[in-house]
Amino acid sequence: MPNSRIGVYICNCGTNIAKLVDCEAVARFASEHPTVAITKTYKYMCSNPGQEMIAQDIHEQALDSVVVSACSPRMHERTFRRVLQTAGLNPYMCDMANIREHCSWVHKDAAAATEKAKALTKAAILRVERHEALDRFSVDMCPSTLVIGGGIAGMTAALELAEAGYPVHLVEKKDHLGGNLTRTDLTAPYLDSARDLITERITRVQENRNIEVLLNSQVKTLEGFIGNFTAGIERGSPQADGKNQIQVGNVVVSTGYKEFDAARISHYGYGKLPNVITSFDFEKMLRAGRIQTKEGRIPQYVAILHCVGSRSQEFHGYCSRVCCMTALKYVHEIKSAIPKCYVSDLYIDMHAFGKGHEDFYRKTSEVKTVFLMYGKNEHPVIRKADPKDDCEMIIEVNEKLSGERIEIPADMVILMVGMESREDAAQVARLVNISQDKDGWFIESHPKLDPVATTTDGIYIAGTCVAPKDIPDTVAQARAAAARILGKISRGKIEVDAVFAEVDETRCSGCRMCNELCPYSAIEFDEEKRRSRIISAVCKACGCCVASCPSGAIKGRHFTDQQIFAQIEGVLL
Amino acid sequence: MSFEPKIVGFLCNWCSYAGADLAGTSRIQYRPNIRIIRVMCSARVDPTFVVKALTQGADGVLVCGCHPGDCHYSEGNHKAMRRFPLLQKLLADLGVEDERVRLEWVSASEGQRFADIVNDMTERIKMLGPSRIPGLLQADRIER
Repeated sequence: MPNSRIGVYICNCGTNIAKLVDCEAVARFASEHPTVAITKTYKYMCSNPGQEMIAQDIHEQALDSVVVSACSPRMHERTFRRVLQTAGLNPYMCDMANIREHCSWVHKDAAAATEKAKALTKAAILRVERHEALDRFSVDMCPSTLVIGGGIAGMTAALELAEAGYPVHLVEKKDHLGGNLTRTDLTAPYLDSARDLITERITRVQENRNIEVLLNSQVKTLEGFIGNFTAGIERGSPQADGKNQIQVGNVVVSTGYKEFDAARISHYGYGKLPNVITSFDFEKMLRAGRIQTKEGRIPQYVAILHCVGSRSQEFHGYCSRVCCMTALKYVHEIKSAIPKCYVSDLYIDMHAFGKGHEDFYRKTSEVKTVFLMYGKNEHPVIRKADPKDDCEMIIEVNEKLSGERIEIPADMVILMVGMESREDAAQVARLVNISQDKDGWFIESHPKLDPVATTTDGIYIAGTCVAPKDIPDTVAQARAAAARILGKISRGKIEVDAVFAEVDETRCSGCRMCNELCPYSAIEFDEEKRRSRIISAVCKACGCCVASCPSGAIKGRHFTDQQIFAQIEGVLL
Repeated sequence: MSFEPKIVGFLCNWCSYAGADLAGTSRIQYRPNIRIIRVMCSARVDPTFVVKALTQGADGVLVCGCHPGDCHYSEGNHKAMRRFPLLQKLLADLGVEDERVRLEWVSASEGQRFADIVNDMTERIKMLGPSRIPGLLQADRIER
């Protein structure tokens, strides 16, 4: 048995684990195992004192491997590997037992949870006994970046990278840059022109020699790994040299959102009542400089209806974040164009969370806006007005604050449509190998601590393809993604994970079955030796070939049969 | 005491393990009978892992991967899917009911689905009773 001096560390995670799992009992249980040299419990193993404690034990107890029973390895495996490395051990001599996400957080029975924590810890102990020191190797980092999507997020990320001196390929599906912002008039809460914002970006992008803008173009394929991606581009205007492949080290996905289709909510009459329009229809009107009904009249009464498609059980459960402030912006724009216009604003809750937003809300109240609150599941009803009324439509609403059923006049109703993920988001996710959440938004590596990275190294996400957000947040994410990439580029080299598969030539029969199975074509066939060989830099360690080799000649490093068999024994105690 | 089955789960790192983590962060409660082992891809699940688990005393084995089309390794789950019926057929000959060995797709956002699968599987295996495989092995050894 290679490893026989194991340190086992059981984390309380404050009370997250310890409130249900008897950590002391798990530690006592682990200490009985013959290869375990030392066992400790601690309130936060990932904290600095926790990490230092492990490092100190590695020295003082001459540990050869470490088990940390704590949270998900997807959270802190990297942290503890680094602890081992700083203490002079190979980082791969560490295993984690997930006794938080897979145990204390999902169970209520303390005895059963403690037994489970013991089993998971035992599995990690048996596994780590069989861990081997693995060497990482480094490859060159290509300094170019591919940015997918030329909206405010994509342009900002591109500029940040290009101005630092690195090449960027900015691919945009449409025939112009700017994205959804090109459809917007003013921005909340300072009523600056969106056109000015976007024009500044577009000009700077176009003038920057480091940025190649590809309009009417799409990324069709993406192969390789961080530092060494090859993207296949379908160009709108074919290149003279016919070059459709570009080499990039990193990718920023900034594909944006699409607006909710108001026609899906039949009772608001969008598409039937001519003067029920969406916020985007209204933006168009504002950009043209004339607010008018379909019939060409100046509206006397305008009603703004919030949360169309958002915060509803039927459509999207989430809040689209930008609509409340956009609605207030409309009040100001209407009031300045038609001072006598009677504007009513029908909302569920007024979300004024951002910088300057509360002030903007107060200012809007001061310009004689009629705010009416309606219940989440009590949608206002829009009907055509009688000819005797002096308005086009009547909106009936159960006003929540007064508790009364109120009828309000409207010549124009603006539906504040929410944001939703684009139809092609799934296609993009597959292209760059990232995941989507239940609403179709791209999933970040960690929602709080690693917001612009994804689970695929070298792929970053920014802007409204991640979730609804406003311009400042989008720009911050784009710059964050660029900063992350610059950090990688500045090192020049990238360390490749030491986990990959390798062929034992003495056992390989040369059947070539694995050659066909590998999704990355990472397995070559040596005609001379009649043996298969794995190109480690291309291998992504899925282990498909390992499980399929009829001769058992392929070893999946860090996920060997022996390691997994040991885990099976462990979990079954 | 009532029978509490032991279930070994092999979850792919990218979708299903993340889905199980999400069940945790969302505090979705499920039966404690499952013990999860992480693999990089459902295609890594060698049929011998399943057999090993059953002979070691597991009453059920759950293999979870990304939904078809969503595999992190593009099509590893398809390979797992093709391998699985063969394994089930083989196990059926040994008297292992189909319900004891399941292949399910769980995405990174399906914490609830993961919990539902575990609860459902636990209930079904409880009804089936303990696996006979360890007993068979014991008997086999005595005969020899």
